[in-house]
Amino acid sequence: MATYDLTPRIAPNLDRHLVFPLLEFLQEQQMYPDEEILKAKIELLNKTNMVDYAMDIHKSLYRTEDVPQDMIERRVEVVARLKSLEESAAPLVAFLQNPSAVQELRADKQYNLQMLNDRYQIGPDQIEALYQYAKFQFECGNYSGAADYLYQYRALCTNSERSLSALWGKLAAEVLMQNWVVAVEELNRLKEIIDSKSFSSPLNQVQSRIWLMHWSLFIFFNHDNDKTQIIDLFNQDKYLNAIQTSAPHLLRYLATAFIINKRRRSQFKDFIRVIQQEQHSYKDPITEFLACVFVNYDFDGAQKKMKECEEVEDGNGSTMPLRDEFLKNARLFILETYCRIHQRIDMGVLAGKLNMDYEDAERWIVKRIRNSELDAKIDTETGTVIMEPNHPNVYEQLIEHTKSLSGRTYKLASQLMEQSPAQAAR
Amino acid sequence: MASKFWTQAGASDSDEEEEQSEYEDEIEDGAGGGDPSAADAKNRYLRATDTDSDDSDGQKRVVRSAKDKRFDEMASTLEQIKNAMKINDWVSLLESFDKINKQLEKVMRVTEAVKVPSLYIKALVMLEDFLNQAMANKEAKKKMSSSNAKALNSMKQKLKKNNKQYEDMITKYREKPESEEEADEEDDEDDDDDGSDTFAEDVNAMSDEDEEEDDGKDDEEIEGEGGWEKMLSKKEKLMDKQFAKDPSEITWDVVNKKFKEVVAARGRKGTGRFEQVEQLSFLTKVAKTPAQKLEILFSVVSAQFDVNPGLNGYMPINVWKKCVQNMLVILDIVFQHRNIVVDDKVEPEENETQKGEDHESIIRVWGNLVAFLERIDVEFFKSLQSIDPHTHEYVDRLQDELMFLVLAENVQEYLERAGDYKAASKVALRREELVYYKPPEVFDAMRKLSEQSEGGETGDEKAEESRGPPAFVVVPEVVPRKPTFPENSRTMMDMLVSLIYKYGDDRTKARAMLCDIYHHALLDEFSNARDLLLMSHLQDNIQHLDISTQILFNRAMAQLGLCAFRVGLITEAHGCLSELYSGGRVKELLAQGVSQSRYHEKTPEQERLERRRQMPYHMHINLELLEAVHLICAMLLEVPNMAANTHDSRRRLISKTFRRLLEISERQTFTGPPENVRDHVMAATRALTKGDFVKSIEVIESLDIWRLLKNKEAVLGMLKSKIKEEALRTYLLTYSLSYNSMSLEQLMTMFDLSRAQTHSVVSKMMINEELYASWDQPTECVVFHDVEYSRLQSLSFQLTEKLSVLAESNERAMESGGGGGMELPMRRRDGQDYANAAAGGGKWQDNYNQQGGRQGGGGRSGGYGGGGRSGQGGGRGGGYNRGSQVRGGGGSRYQDSSAYTGGGSRRTASSAVRGSPMDGSTRMVSLNRGVHA
Repeated sequence: MATYDLTPRIAPNLDRHLVFPLLEFLQEQQMYPDEEILKAKIELLNKTNMVDYAMDIHKSLYRTEDVPQDMIERRVEVVARLKSLEESAAPLVAFLQNPSAVQELRADKQYNLQMLNDRYQIGPDQIEALYQYAKFQFECGNYSGAADYLYQYRALCTNSERSLSALWGKLAAEVLMQNWVVAVEELNRLKEIIDSKSFSSPLNQVQSRIWLMHWSLFIFFNHDNDKTQIIDLFNQDKYLNAIQTSAPHLLRYLATAFIINKRRRSQFKDFIRVIQQEQHSYKDPITEFLACVFVNYDFDGAQKKMKECEEVEDGNGSTMPLRDEFLKNARLFILETYCRIHQRIDMGVLAGKLNMDYEDAERWIVKRIRNSELDAKIDTETGTVIMEPNHPNVYEQLIEHTKSLSGRTYKLASQLMEQSPAQAAR
Repeated sequence: MASKFWTQAGASDSDEEEEQSEYEDEIEDGAGGGDPSAADAKNRYLRATDTDSDDSDGQKRVVRSAKDKRFDEMASTLEQIKNAMKINDWVSLLESFDKINKQLEKVMRVTEAVKVPSLYIKALVMLEDFLNQAMANKEAKKKMSSSNAKALNSMKQKLKKNNKQYEDMITKYREKPESEEEADEEDDEDDDDDGSDTFAEDVNAMSDEDEEEDDGKDDEEIEGEGGWEKMLSKKEKLMDKQFAKDPSEITWDVVNKKFKEVVAARGRKGTGRFEQVEQLSFLTKVAKTPAQKLEILFSVVSAQFDVNPGLNGYMPINVWKKCVQNMLVILDIVFQHRNIVVDDKVEPEENETQKGEDHESIIRVWGNLVAFLERIDVEFFKSLQSIDPHTHEYVDRLQDELMFLVLAENVQEYLERAGDYKAASKVALRREELVYYKPPEVFDAMRKLSEQSEGGETGDEKAEESRGPPAFVVVPEVVPRKPTFPENSRTMMDMLVSLIYKYGDDRTKARAMLCDIYHHALLDEFSNARDLLLMSHLQDNIQHLDISTQILFNRAMAQLGLCAFRVGLITEAHGCLSELYSGGRVKELLAQGVSQSRYHEKTPEQERLERRRQMPYHMHINLELLEAVHLICAMLLEVPNMAANTHDSRRRLISKTFRRLLEISERQTFTGPPENVRDHVMAATRALTKGDFVKSIEVIESLDIWRLLKNKEAVLGMLKSKIKEEALRTYLLTYSLSYNSMSLEQLMTMFDLSRAQTHSVVSKMMINEELYASWDQPTECVVFHDVEYSRLQSLSFQLTEKLSVLAESNERAMESGGGGGMELPMRRRDGQDYANAAAGGGKWQDNYNQQGGRQGGGGRSGGYGGGGRSGQGGGRGGGYNRGSQVRGGGGSRYQDSSAYTGGGSRRTASSAVRGSPMDGSTRMVSLNRGVHA
C-alpha cells in the first residue's frame, strides 16, 4: 500500500505547515509506524515556531515528561522574538484595528502610504514589520491572524516581490484554515501573477507553477466537486508542461479528476497521450488503468488495475473521499470502450470486467440503457447484451464536414471587407 | 676514425671561437641580429652537408649543371648592374641588387656551398664603391629624378646592411681580388671532409651522447638528437656553445634577448620551422625563471603548430606528441607556481618573467591554454581524417587520444581552479566530443588501455627529459600523466555536461546537448534522449548554427532513430530517419563520405570544404544498418497504410522515399534474389503485402547487418512481432470486404500471435475506425459491417477535405496580408479540426499543437510543447503526419514522435500547403546551404 504513497514526492513542494494535514492523514491510515510519523512531525516543527506543539509530540513519542533543552531554549527565543516583532508592528496594527481609521484608506496605494506617513507616522519600516509579524504569526500556527495581516500588508505593500510571498502566505493560511472559497480566490490571483509576471528565469516560473499545483490539491479535492477547476488548471499547456518536466506524480491527480469528471472528454484524449508519453517516468495504477483501457484495449488488465486503484485511493488523503465516484466512473469507462468494439457481449463476462456480480451488472446496464447512455438491448435468453450498430450516416458526415465552411468563408469575407475600407481610408 | 673526429672537433673549436665573437658582436647590434645569425647558422650547416653530396660523383655532375646555370644568371645580373652604373640608373640598380640577392640564395641552395661566390662579393664591392662615389657627388645627387634619388637612398641602406654580413670577405676581396676564391675553396674542401666524418661519427656517438653532453665541452654531439633534428641542429650547437659552456654566466637577459630574437624570426622567409622549434626548446632548458620557461614553452608550442602551415595537411604525429608533452610541462609549471597567471587579455610588462620563483605577487604570462588545447584537438582530428583507417597507423593514432584526454583533463582542472569556468566548459566540450560516440564497450577498453599503457610511456618521457644538459629550472611532474575515467561513460558525460550547461556559451551548450543526446541514444535511453531534444528546442534553431554542429545534429538524429528502433518504437524511428533519407544525401548529411550529385558539379573549393568536415572512420555510423532500419520502419508503417488506402494511394504517403523505391522494384520485369539492403527490404515488403509474414521475416533476418547490434536477439524478436502485427493489420484491411466474420482463433493461428495481442490489435483498429467491425464476444468472432464507402462517397469526402484545405489557405493568405488579429488562429484551429477529422481522430493532437504554437514564449521550461512551438505551419504540416500515425499505430503513439518531424518540417509544410510538395531535403539540415550561399 505504501508503494503508491505520494507523500514523499509531494511534501517537498509544500509549505512546512501544509505537510501537517498529510502527516495527520497518514497517521490515521496506519500506513507507516506511528513513531516514524511523529519523528517526521518533530523534524518538521523544528524549523517552525510551533514549539509547544513540538514539545507535546516529543512527549508522546518518547513517553517522557522531559523536554530537550534546546526546545525550551527555542521557546524562549521564539517568545522574545514575538514580543519584539509585536512591538515594531504595533503602530500599524493599532491603526488597522481602528475601523474608522481604516475607512480613510483608498484604492490608491501611493495615497495611502502618504497618508499613513503624514498622519500616523507609519513609514515603510512599520509596514515591513507588519510583514515580518504576519510571517511570524504564521510560523506559530496562528493562521487566521497571519491571513488578516497579510491581507492588509498586501494593500499597503509596494514591493512586488514581497507582495508575492505575502500572497503565498495568505494562500497557505487559508488552506490551513480550510476556507476553501477564499483560498480559490487567492489561488487564482496567484496564478495570474505567476502567468503574467516575467520571471527572472523560466525555471523559477515552472517551480512556482508546481508549487501552485501542489497547494491547489488541498483546495480542489476538498472543495471543487466535479473537479472541473483542477482540470482547467492542470491541463493548461504551461502547467501540463511543468508537470511533465518536474512533477509527473501530479498526473495521478489529474487522471483521477478526469475519470471523475465526465464532461471533459474533449481534453481527455489529449491527456491519454500525455500519460503514454510519461509512462517511462511515472506510472501508478490509475494511469496504468487509463493506458489499459484507452491504449491497449486490454480489459482484463484494466480490471486488475481497477482493483489496485481502489487501494491507492484508500491510501491517498485528498482523493479518498472520492473513491466511490472514481470507481463508478472507471467502470463506465471500461463499459463504454468495451461496448464500442463489441456487437454482442456475454453478461457474465461483462459483470466480471466491471468488477460486479451478475445481478448488479444487469441492473446497472439496464439503468444505463434507460438513461440512454448506452445504445443496447439485453437478451435474457442467451444472457447477452446486444449493441445496436451505430454508424454515422455518410450524408450526415458529409454535411458535418462542410457545414462550417460557409461560415468560415463568410467570416473571412466580412473581415476582408472590414479591412479594405480601413485601408482605403488610409 | 674516432681520433680524427676528435682532432677535428678540437681544430674547429678555435676556428669557431673567432666566429663566435663576431656573432656576439652582432647580438650587440640588436635589431638586425636575428637575420644574420640565422644565415650564419645556415652557412655552417650547409658547409657541413655540402661535402656529403660532393662526395658522390654522380650527384656532383647533376649539381654542377644547375650550379653553372645559377652562376651564369648571376653573372648576367652583374652585367646588368654594370650597365645601370654607367647610366647612373639607381632604380634598375636597386632591382638588380634584389635580383642578385635572390640569385645568391638559389646559388647557395643549388651548390649547397657555404662560401659566398666571389662573383657576388665582386658585385657588392662594385656597388659599394659606386655608391660612395654617388654619395660624394652631391651635385649629381641633386640633379637626380625623385624616384632615382629614392632608389639611391634605399640602396644605400640595403647595401650597408647587406654588406655587413660579408664584411670580412669584402675586405679580403679588396686586398686580393679573385685569387682568394680558389684558395678558400680548397680550404673548405678539407674542412668539409672532416665534417662529413663527423656526421658519420655522430650517428655512432648517439649512444654516448648523454655523457658527452654532460661534459659540456663538445658541442657537436647535440646534432645527434635523432632523425630530422640532426640536420638542423648546427644552430643549436652554436647556442649551446654560447650557453652551455658556462652556465653560471647565463643571465635572464641573455636568454630573454635570444628568445626575442628567435621569436622575431618566426614566419620570416628562410626561417626553418623545425629549426625554430629546436631553438626554442633549447632555450627552455636554459630559462632562468619558471615564468620565463613558461613563456618560452608557449612559443615552442605555437612554433610546433607552425610546423604544418596548410589547412589540409595535418601536423606530423611526433611533433603532435611533443606538443602535448610541452603542454603538460606548461601545466606542471602552472600548477607548481600558483602565482603565475596565464592570460591572453593583458599584455604583460616587459620584464614580467624576470621575476623569480620566490616572487610574491602575481606574474602574468601571455598565453591561451584553451586555444592551444583546441588546436591540438583539431590537429588530432585532422590526422585521423587523413590516415587510412585500415592501417595500424590509424589504430596507433587512436590510442594517442588518451594523451589528449590527460591534457584536457588537466587543463580543465587548472581552469576550474583559476575560476575561469567559461574556458573550462570549452575544454569540457572537447573532452565530451571524444567520449560521446563511444559505446560502453569501447569506453571500457579505453579505460583499460589507459591503466595498462601508462608505465611504459612515462618511462620514455623521463629518458627524453634527462637527455641534454640539465635544465636550470627543473620542473617536477606535478600534473598526473594518466587520465582518470569514471566507472562508465555516462557518469563522465554527466559530469562534463553539467559543467557545460552551467557555464558554456550557446554554441558550446548546443553541441554538448547534442553529444548528450547522442550518447543517451547509444545507451538505448530513448525517452531521455527525446526529452533532451525536445526541451532544448534544438530542432528549431539548428538551421542557424554552424555546419559542423548541424552535422552533429544529423548524427544525433540518426543515432536517435537507431535507438528508437532498438527499443521497438517504429514510428519514432521512422520520424527521426525519414528526413535524413528524403534527400538521398545521407552520406553528406552525416559527413561520412562525399556524395556525388548528378545535377551539379562541385567546385574544388566546395569539395575541399566538405572533405574537411568528414568524420574520422571510427566515429562512423554504419550506413547499411541505418538504411535497413529506415526502410524497415517505413515498410512497417507503409504497408498497412497502402492496404488501407487502396482507392487513392497518392494521398497519404508516410514515406515518399519508400514508395519510390517500391515503385522502382515493382517495375522490374524480373526480380532476382535480394542482394543489397534495399533489395532485401523490398522483397520483405512484397511478402508482407500479401500477408506472408513468414517469408518477410525470413528475408529480413537474412540481412547480415544485424550482427552489428548488441542485443540482436531481442531486436529481432521485437521485429518479428511487429511484422506479424502489421501483417495481421494488412490482411484485415485488404480482405475484410470479402468476409462476413472471422474468428479470433483463426487469426491467432494465422499470424502466430497471442490472444491478447491479436485482440488488442484488432480492437485498436476498430476504435480508430480503420476497420468497420466489432467483436461478437460469446463466439469470439470479428463481425464485419458493410460500411465501405462507394466510389462516389469517398470522392465526395475527398472533395470536402480539399474544400477545407482551401478555406484554410484562404485564411492564411488573409492572415499574412496583415488581417489576422486574435480571432484568426482560433478559427483556423476549427478548420484544422475539420481537415483532420477525416484523417482519423488526429484533431485533438493538433489542437494541442496549435496551442503550443501560440503559446510561444515560456522559455526552455516549456518543454514538451516542442513540436507545437514550431509554429502554425508545423502544426498543420504535422497534422497529417500525426493523423496517419493514429491510424497506423492505432495507439496514437503520442505527439512527440511527430514533433520530430514537426520541428523539421515546418518550412516544407508551409510550402507543401501552398504549392506542390517539394523534395524533403530542406527538412533536414542542409549542408550545402553554406556552400551554395
